[in-house]
Amino acid sequence: MIIAERKPFAEIKAAVAPYEKILIVGCGTCVAVCLVGGEKEVGLLASQLKLARGLEGKHLEIGEITVERQCDLEFIRPLCDFIADYDAIISMACGAGVQYLGQLCYMRPIFPAVNTAFIGVNEEAGLYSERCLACNNCYLAVTGGICPVTMCPKGLLNGPCGGTINGRCEVDPERECAWTQIYQRLENQGRQEQMREILPLHPHDRRTTSGKVIHPAYKRRYGGHE
Amino acid sequence: MSRLKKALEADKFPVVAELQPPKGIALDNMFSPVGFLKKRVTAFSVPDNEHARLRLSSLAACRLLKEADAEPLLHLTCRDRNRLALESDLLGAAVLGINNVLVVSGDYVTLGDHPQAKPVYDADSVQLLQIAQGLMAGHDSAGLPLNGNPDFFLGAVVIPEADPWVPQLIKFEKKVAAGAQFFITPAVFDLEKFRAFRQSLPPHPIKILASIEILGTEEVAQAKEGKWRQVYSLPPEILQELTAAEAEKVLFKGAEIAGRLLKQLKEENLADGVYLKAQGRADLFTMVLEGGGL
Repeated sequence: MIIAERKPFAEIKAAVAPYEKILIVGCGTCVAVCLVGGEKEVGLLASQLKLARGLEGKHLEIGEITVERQCDLEFIRPLCDFIADYDAIISMACGAGVQYLGQLCYMRPIFPAVNTAFIGVNEEAGLYSERCLACNNCYLAVTGGICPVTMCPKGLLNGPCGGTINGRCEVDPERECAWTQIYQRLENQGRQEQMREILPLHPHDRRTTSGKVIHPAYKRRYGGHE
Repeated sequence: MSRLKKALEADKFPVVAELQPPKGIALDNMFSPVGFLKKRVTAFSVPDNEHARLRLSSLAACRLLKEADAEPLLHLTCRDRNRLALESDLLGAAVLGINNVLVVSGDYVTLGDHPQAKPVYDADSVQLLQIAQGLMAGHDSAGLPLNGNPDFFLGAVVIPEADPWVPQLIKFEKKVAAGAQFFITPAVFDLEKFRAFRQSLPPHPIKILASIEILGTEEVAQAKEGKWRQVYSLPPEILQELTAAEAEKVLFKGAEIAGRLLKQLKEENLADGVYLKAQGRADLFTMVLEGGGL
């Protein structure tokens, strides 16, 4: 899922300072799971903003709503019925959700309340870690199911760099070296010879423009080519 | 033809002296050892934003070395350039008469003095070796033909004390397959470990330059405080020698130890040449060379 972190309150407060009627829109999927942008967090941010404005003796009216997914038109379209009642929108979704909602409600300024961090996993309550950079050219089949693009800070494709110390990463000694892990995983599976293959330069053209994926079953509908 | 290549192929035990390019454009300190040493060493090496800290470009410094009638060894890091820039710089090096190239991944940006810079790593060191090989064969990394092929003597880095060793060995072999003709190691202080490394290498006609380094006072202090975090180890007896020296004499003690290590490496035929890191100082280079009997 997508992991995000709440922006500092001062940044959000400053961004919406000129507006007196704000709609805060939460997202009930990834950011709700990682406890930054779901219904609860919408309520918390609303209270913080009201309190801060109140202390300044200024007026603020806030609407709160949380939709299932802000990255899905089906769930955000109903907001069109009342979005015109507000001066501005704060979206607590990931960057995709903020943009999609902003595209739909283009007459109103939209402000993000979170920084989108990465695609990752929920290790334990409140503990998330990165696993995927969405490079659109998955190497996991040949790297023992551990992603070198994501898990090695340098994204090296052909083995560990010279900075590995005792299987730890040069960038952060708390982290394990991705290539040491890849080697150990492949060895455990009796596939260590796989590491001898020289992987070619990464095809960055697969993600240097804003990406679009059309499911094969829908190619005819959206005019894609086979 | 590369003088370094010739010396290595003729088993002449070449010495490569590492210079320290300035952070700025004042060249005096960097070049001070050159005039004095160029008859005594085979080549001068110029790191490329070493430790991810901004320095004068290796390419420019290498050209200045050529103009001073000295043999340069260009470092090229994957950290700061995409494949277009890497290829362009390689072609540029070739027309400037620079043929010795050491290919490195490059220390990560957050370890240096521009921690917020974008790390590139479009190619890794294996792929960069392949790119250079491709240029030599007359095509770029997209497979398009070149008008005039460069010629390089390509080097890479190997970490003798890597733990675990096998992934490092696999990477070494990939670098050989990708076209590395010589290797440079990080500093060697523990000869026992270096001997084990040489024995564990499969029989390759690959030349190995062992690094001999004079540690700075900061590094010695780190080692003393148990904060050592390098890819090479410092045996306790050497650390003791260094820490017993008075503060202002640490570098001279380091030079004495370096000379001794150099002599042993050569006598035992443990390396094909040596890569000297002596804080870029002519007096220290001289001490090490004399201590090593060169």
